[in-house]
Amino acid sequence: MNLARLKKKSYPYLFLAPFAILTLMFFVIPALATLWMAATNLDRKMKADFIGFGNFQRIFADINILPIIKVTLIYVFFSLVLTVAFSLLLAICTQYLVKNKKLGALYRVIWLIPSTMPGLVYVVFWKYIFNPTPGGFANKIVMYFGLEQPISWFNDAGLLIIIIAGVISGASGGMILFSASINSIPEDVYKAARVDGAKDRSIIRDIILPALKWPIMYVTVTSTIGLFASYNFILLATRGGPVVDTTTLALYGYQQAFNRLEYGYGAAISVIVVIISLLLTLLLFRLFDFNKLIRPPRIED
Amino acid sequence: MNLWKFSKRNMIHFFMILLMLPIVFMIIWLFVSSVYNYNSGRFSWVNWQFLTRSFELEGISFPIIWPIVMNTVVFGLLITVIDLLVAIPAAYAFSRLNFFGKGFALKFLFIMGSFPGITLLITSFFIMMYLGLLNTVFAVVVLSAAGMIPWHVYILKGFFDEVSWDLEFSGMIDGCSRFKCLYQIILPNMLSGISAIAIYAFMGAYGEWLLIKLFIFDNTKLTLAGYLAKVIFTDDDKVTNIGLITAIGLFYTIPIGIFYLFTQSTMMKVTIGGSKGV
Repeated sequence: MNLARLKKKSYPYLFLAPFAILTLMFFVIPALATLWMAATNLDRKMKADFIGFGNFQRIFADINILPIIKVTLIYVFFSLVLTVAFSLLLAICTQYLVKNKKLGALYRVIWLIPSTMPGLVYVVFWKYIFNPTPGGFANKIVMYFGLEQPISWFNDAGLLIIIIAGVISGASGGMILFSASINSIPEDVYKAARVDGAKDRSIIRDIILPALKWPIMYVTVTSTIGLFASYNFILLATRGGPVVDTTTLALYGYQQAFNRLEYGYGAAISVIVVIISLLLTLLLFRLFDFNKLIRPPRIED
Repeated sequence: MNLWKFSKRNMIHFFMILLMLPIVFMIIWLFVSSVYNYNSGRFSWVNWQFLTRSFELEGISFPIIWPIVMNTVVFGLLITVIDLLVAIPAAYAFSRLNFFGKGFALKFLFIMGSFPGITLLITSFFIMMYLGLLNTVFAVVVLSAAGMIPWHVYILKGFFDEVSWDLEFSGMIDGCSRFKCLYQIILPNMLSGISAIAIYAFMGAYGEWLLIKLFIFDNTKLTLAGYLAKVIFTDDDKVTNIGLITAIGLFYTIPIGIFYLFTQSTMMKVTIGGSKGV
């Protein structure tokens, strides 16, 4: 009798066991080890001494840290605003303003290309366009119009290029979500508005945008979390340079560890990135009713 | 006057096409550049030499590509299988069973899904070094699976939520145990969700390059993504290398592009919260 009860009680845990083991090994332990490593001076000498909050004091004294925070804030803020605005524009255009449904869908499919093509290949395109030698596409154009010297675009405007490339490939996610929401507005609402003499502009302002309030919120918060930790494109395009002009905080932690072999210091920076991400995730929980996702089972064992 | 009316009515299309020009240009360029010799300014197949022999770039030698293709397929399938074997039971428990700490576990799952993976790389590297697993495919497989699975559990949970409880009730009335209900009734009813996750896992494995770059030092053990990433990192912004890089990039993109065309209807079934048609 007791054995049967034990079997019933342990049943869910058996299902969870593989996931729990994998998570413990390759998520929880690395996460805890990061905390430990952040409190040591582990570096290329491979000797770890406990130094408490020494690394965090070092972060405050680091002359690179202010420029990096500035780069991170500029990168996250402008990427976020432009991505949300651009995906809204695309969704409203393809779902509402383009009346032909098939054409609208075709436009959306083409906009999906930059986000579905591998980032590795996408970055090659941008590296060719803004190649610093006279053979690069942008340099060919400016030199055709009489400029003597080629411009090293990534040195002069690396962050801007990174933001634009990110917006073009990142807009499609929001676009899909927003156009699904616009699509769920009943046609009658538009008809009623038109009978009352509403123009496109007021339909967009008074009907479509209010209906998109929650999707916009969702995209805003999740994109912020994603942008704070994003590194792929920057690492491939500029490796954070010149100096730290395109280095975000997450990338700085990575570079400290893998390029400069300052493992302890890199881990300490990572801890700060994690804390920011966690705060943002908690905000997401507050904004969206998380508890409604946890449905109780309807069969009691 | 008529022309003015026509252009006013079609302004939105002009605008959309204008916005799309860079993307169309990018696609055309990718194909043209892969057969263009930036040295001589002529078209040639020399960029595609990696199909028939190994080559050197900036003094580093890269192997012929076919064993790399093989590695990629094995790597992708391995991750897909592990992903499904781990994620399906976990998602089932989260969706349809009750256990102590479920609310907390679900929150933890969500946090893991949005956890900045780059921050765990440093200690993962040391753990793998300690276990003697550096430069092995195993290390990359488990790390990349562990990174993807939390989201996949979350999405699959949405699919389990969608399967009607009445189906399971009637199954139990007919004498099924809950486990039998799972594999005879519930799983067949959510095959689209399972295939979506399988596709996601394979695509994720196909795109993984940073873990490969950090954990695999042996060029013959690379996957296509790792191979391309190494080539890109070796290149020092010379235009003359771009033909080769786009050729490898195209070789890498075309299979996944075709794969995407065939599977996108399945993938589109997944939206936020994991439930269909939100």
